Amino acid sequence: MKLAGLKSIEDAHEESVWAVTWVPSTETRPALLLTGSLDETVRLWQPDELVNQGKMTGHCLGVASVAAHPSGHIAASASLDSFVRVFDVDSNNTIASLEAPPSEVWQLRFNPQGTMLAVAGGGSASVKIWDTTTWNLFATLSIPRPEGTKPTDKSSSKKFVLSVAWSPDGRRIACGSMDGTVSVFDADRGKFLHHLEGHFMPVRSLVFSPVEPRLLFTGSDDTHVHMYDAEGKTLVGAMSGHASWVLSVDVSTDGAALATGSSDRTVRLWDINMRGAVQTMSNHTDQVWGVAFRPGGMPGRLASVSDDKSISLYDYS
Amino acid sequence: MQETEQEKECELRRLEECIEAHPDDPSLRFELGVLLWEEWDTKEKAAEQFVIAAKLKPEIEKGGAFRYLGIYYAGLDSQSHSQRALKCFQKAVSLNPDDSLSGEALCDLLDQQGKESLEVAVCREASQKSPRAFWAFQRLGYLLLHQNKCSEAVHSLQHAIRGYPTSPHLWEALGLAYQRLGRFTAALKSYGRAIELEGTRIFALLESGNIFLMLGSFRQGVEAFQQALEISPKSVSAHYGLASGLLCLAKECNNLGAYRWGATVLEEASKVAWMCTQLAGNMSSIWKLHGDIQLTYAKCYPWMEEDHSLEFDVEAFDNSILSWKRTCCLAAKTARCSYQRALHLSPWQANIYADIAVTSDLVDSFDNSPGHELSAWQPSEKMALGALLLEGDNSEFWVALGCLSDHNALKQHALIRGLHLNVSLAVAWAYLGKLYRKQGEKQFARQAFDCARSIDPSLALPWAGMSADFHARESAAGEAYESCLRAVQILPLAEFQMGLAKLALGSGNLSSSQVFGAIRQAMQRAPHYPECHNLTGLVYEAQSNYRSAAASYRLARYAITNLPGSDRKSHMTDISINLARSLSRAGNALDALQECEDLKKEGLLDVEGLQIYAFSLWQLGKTELALSVARNLAVSVSTMEQTSAAASVVFICRFLYHISGLDSAINSILKMPKQLFQSSKISFIVSAIHALDRSNRLESVVSSSRYYLKSHEEITGMHFLIALGKLIKHGSEHRLGYQSGIDHLRKALHMYPNSSLLRNLLGYLLLCSEEWNDTHIATRCCDIDATNPSKGGLKSAYEILGAGAVACYAVGNCSPKFSYPTCTCQCLNEPGAIQQLQKCLRREPWNQNIRYLLVLNLLQKAREERFPCHLCIILERLISVALSDEVYHNTGMSYEYKKFQLLLCASEICLQGGNLTSCINRAKNASSIMLPDDCLFFAHLLLLRAYALECDTVNLQKEYIRCLELKTDHHIGWICLKFIEYRYELQSDLDILESSFKECSKERMNSWNRWRALFILVQGLISIWSQDIISAEQFFAQACSLAGDESSLLLCHGATCMELSRQGCSQFLSLAVRSLTKAQKGPLIPLPIVSALLAQAAGSLGSKEKWEKNLRLEWPTWPQEMRPAELFFQMHLLARQLKASSASRIEFCQSPEKWVLRAIHTNPSCMRYWKVLQKLVE
Repeated sequence: MKLAGLKSIEDAHEESVWAVTWVPSTETRPALLLTGSLDETVRLWQPDELVNQGKMTGHCLGVASVAAHPSGHIAASASLDSFVRVFDVDSNNTIASLEAPPSEVWQLRFNPQGTMLAVAGGGSASVKIWDTTTWNLFATLSIPRPEGTKPTDKSSSKKFVLSVAWSPDGRRIACGSMDGTVSVFDADRGKFLHHLEGHFMPVRSLVFSPVEPRLLFTGSDDTHVHMYDAEGKTLVGAMSGHASWVLSVDVSTDGAALATGSSDRTVRLWDINMRGAVQTMSNHTDQVWGVAFRPGGMPGRLASVSDDKSISLYDYS
Repeated sequence: MQETEQEKECELRRLEECIEAHPDDPSLRFELGVLLWEEWDTKEKAAEQFVIAAKLKPEIEKGGAFRYLGIYYAGLDSQSHSQRALKCFQKAVSLNPDDSLSGEALCDLLDQQGKESLEVAVCREASQKSPRAFWAFQRLGYLLLHQNKCSEAVHSLQHAIRGYPTSPHLWEALGLAYQRLGRFTAALKSYGRAIELEGTRIFALLESGNIFLMLGSFRQGVEAFQQALEISPKSVSAHYGLASGLLCLAKECNNLGAYRWGATVLEEASKVAWMCTQLAGNMSSIWKLHGDIQLTYAKCYPWMEEDHSLEFDVEAFDNSILSWKRTCCLAAKTARCSYQRALHLSPWQANIYADIAVTSDLVDSFDNSPGHELSAWQPSEKMALGALLLEGDNSEFWVALGCLSDHNALKQHALIRGLHLNVSLAVAWAYLGKLYRKQGEKQFARQAFDCARSIDPSLALPWAGMSADFHARESAAGEAYESCLRAVQILPLAEFQMGLAKLALGSGNLSSSQVFGAIRQAMQRAPHYPECHNLTGLVYEAQSNYRSAAASYRLARYAITNLPGSDRKSHMTDISINLARSLSRAGNALDALQECEDLKKEGLLDVEGLQIYAFSLWQLGKTELALSVARNLAVSVSTMEQTSAAASVVFICRFLYHISGLDSAINSILKMPKQLFQSSKISFIVSAIHALDRSNRLESVVSSSRYYLKSHEEITGMHFLIALGKLIKHGSEHRLGYQSGIDHLRKALHMYPNSSLLRNLLGYLLLCSEEWNDTHIATRCCDIDATNPSKGGLKSAYEILGAGAVACYAVGNCSPKFSYPTCTCQCLNEPGAIQQLQKCLRREPWNQNIRYLLVLNLLQKAREERFPCHLCIILERLISVALSDEVYHNTGMSYEYKKFQLLLCASEICLQGGNLTSCINRAKNASSIMLPDDCLFFAHLLLLRAYALECDTVNLQKEYIRCLELKTDHHIGWICLKFIEYRYELQSDLDILESSFKECSKERMNSWNRWRALFILVQGLISIWSQDIISAEQFFAQACSLAGDESSLLLCHGATCMELSRQGCSQFLSLAVRSLTKAQKGPLIPLPIVSALLAQAAGSLGSKEKWEKNLRLEWPTWPQEMRPAELFFQMHLLARQLKASSASRIEFCQSPEKWVLRAIHTNPSCMRYWKVLQKLVE
């Protein structure tokens, strides 16, 4: 497996680019790249030339996360003041505006069936699930407090939820917290199942393998990428190589490769079977906040975004 | 019906008549034959006609007559007829090779007679004759496949598929042909096509499942077999395939260390295999598979540590270990049973003997059955020998014997025999190495391991062996760790994993994820080893997870109680001390104390134990006891080795300082022998105590101990400490000596320019020192671009930038929209503070301090932009969340202060939004916080403003008096109060305000003149409001003389002078020009209006050139969206001075009329513009 640079756009945004996702293709157009930035805008890009397809404003602070509905028609973006804006990708009409107290919206993810939107609830130490038909709050999955702590205890802020992921069958939700714990929930019953241990610094990104619903990949500030058996609570692999925080992870659609973006300004490609890095891309000049593989068929594409205001697109083969 | 009958009759009659007319026409005969065959079903008569037709013309209808005849004869049941049929078909096929019916019939007949080679010949001939003879290709393909001529078969089948592309049989056959040729992916595709065409092709499903397993795609293989089982639930091969697929999958999981996953898969596999044995109990391979599954299960079944492990007691722990062992043992025994059945069914298979041998060994290891007699043969050895008796030349059986035997000599012999048979058997070399190592022959051991590793680098054992070798040499801790890590990655064996953790302890890798994962996996497979739990505890401690560490140590203690052995007691002590330490670190002083006391009773308390003991006592408030323990510790310091002595000394010093205070600590330090202070750690402690001591008693100790600071970090850390010490030593009662600290840091930074620790402290101190000009230096000296925020230090660079930007809005505001910063020290290139704070918040969203600073910065921005609605909404939300954060329930001074500020911000926004009630409520809330009067002043100031807006004169007066009573140290407060006092005509003595203002400014001499200038500016403004322009000019002139370079003051003065000269005092005009010229040159961002006024003054003095120049300068000083009407009007005046040379200038971009129109558009109410327009149009 290999990455080859295709296109890079300097100054794609006016400020640091913080979030990236692929909007799946629809009948009328191919898959598009969606990015969110500190400059308070969300922009759409057409691969492979990365032609700007539109700029969406409407946030008052930096955009920390973007997510795309599996249908490819709807996307959501969230900013630091915790407004989630759900909009139509092609017309940029606002469909819904979900409000939460600031610091209680972090990463967003639609479930693979497209019926729910999971929001990493930051300081509320929970994951909020929104129904995508009515846009009402459907459930709140709270991380249980450790025994013997009072509700007013300061330690609850340690459970600040940064990241969230759905398993490919939509039955499990995993979320990563600031103290390094990863919590697994049963999505159907809205029940906490267990913690996955091993990280001891913030887990900023996690993703399930698209081919194996039990496998979960996590990236953490402790510079490691972990591979968990999410059902059996077992750490089955740890991959190290980054020199600084791992900010973002994503798995390729064939489930064979993992890409990570890091504070050490590199993007790395990992062979999951070998459990080792096979390639390091160092074309960014500042920390890489997001990496995303294009869903669906060949040819494989990987996008990365960085604090250096640029977007890069790679061919993955 | 009748009619058709009649028609048939007619047709028959017509044909018969024709034949009578032309008896020699073969086509008529053939036609009649077909009619009789098809319509009348009189085959005999038809056959007669066909015979005649064939005789007359054999090639009629491409041998159609022969075909009918062939079918006719084949239908007649006798030997001679079938021979005749054969000939007819042969004739038909030779006439028309595309005739699939005849061809198939011919081949069927040949097949019945067993003439396979003839059949092949016929098909080959037909296929050579016509490429469209697909039946022939098909038949040929099947026949060739049957004869195992696969590559030829592939050609025929491919050709046949062109004719019958939807035949699943053909695809299946093609798949089989590919499979036999070893072209597995092609085979998979063909089988896939067959299944696609017909979902119930069980053969294709089974074979593709087998191929998937062979290729290592176990998951897909399992799916194929599951599909096959759905179609045929009793299929033995589907069951077998599914079970073996699941077994492979489980093995893959186990190799990752995902034991629980592996176990669930194996449970399913075992069920399937059991079903299979029920279906076909007489196949030894099925029993062997079942045995394999159970054996793997026994080897991977994990011990489940329950979630509430804290509640384990000894009994529960023992029970859980016992039940785990029982499960494993049961599985192993089941495996042995199954192998025995397999052996019983096919006793000639040597490998099953070996399997039984291995399983027996495993069962013994779980059973712990006490001492076999050494001389007697054990079943495992016996069975291994059984395998060898059958296949004495199989080297692997020799290796198995070598592993299973208890006798070293036999082991060595067996392994060497194995190597004789196959010298490149890596496993044998590895075990030989292990054996030599055990016997102490390190040289041989290393050679054997090297051999094994060079033959097969993917074998775990040699790596582990090498690691042990490195470890023994002690010099290469890192290499030992690396080798062991590789061993663990190749094979997650509990022994290797524990070794890895042990090595990590030595090489400082304990907090690495690999070690954590390894030790957690080891715990699932070796829960009965106390060292496993102990190491887990150490790993948890390295990750600062003390609660879990304590739980692990407890488990280790439970495990050790079951263990026989002489050194149990010393292990027990070590674990207990570990436990006490982690309990103490987890904040559980009571339990830690209990542990220490238990140890003390047994007299096992060592240095570390004493420290924990003393510390726990102190935490629980038993200071007397704690001190006595510390004294015990101090007594034993002299006998300790260097590092632990240093730790003890550090502990004692800190302890004394906390319990008995500074003086006692200093006295004891002075009493201690000098040679104890030879360590950097001690140096820090001593220096810290020294910093707090104003009488410098520790001077000599400190200076001598600093000699031991070596590394870069230590030295910068010490400078940090010294700077803080200077703050205290050179400060007064109420103020710290900022300047001396800053001076020291500046010097230190010169030596260590890349130390962010020093930089940030310097920035912090500069901000704290509250000098007028230091804020921008503060923000400039911190390093924001550092990719990783460095830990330590008092404030982060982001916090300093944020605070600096609050203190001076010009910092980090690269494009001011509505304000014109006039200070000369702006840093326009600096990054925007709001953006930087958001970046920081993105990194650390839980950081309340950054959130707080962001709120303050946003408020600044909102204030600059006149409180636009969207900013107010954000602020409102941010503040409400910040206030609800539990941090602000703390009662520290700094929290209270932040809460106060946030409330004031919220109140201010309400005030701007017109929501006076909640504004007042919040301000009242703020004023009720316990803070110095100095701060509370501002809450009341805000209340004052709110009441003023509400026109509530009673409360207005009350708040005003309250403000005067409270007093503030901040000049700006007094200045605001002065404004309000005038604006709302509040009653009081003017003198109180002014004298308080003068009082509060004593401390800060540097900025005193500026503040005074501002105060006088306010007085001047007040004079203007009361139409007293002469005294206003005097005030402004005074202010300008106090703070000469302040452009805004100069502008005020200039404007006032202009007004005076307009009223007839022409001597002021030159004053105005002087002030305005100064104001024009001053700031980096030019002030608006200045140039316009200057132009006017120049105009009055009659200098047209200067008027033009200044007016032109005025244009760019205004932001585009804010240009006033008068500016456009002035431009019109300029534009009217038509000059050919200056056509490129701004005023000529449009005609004078247009300029006037734009002015009118901006301000339509001014009659002057209209009049000018009228004139222009005329």
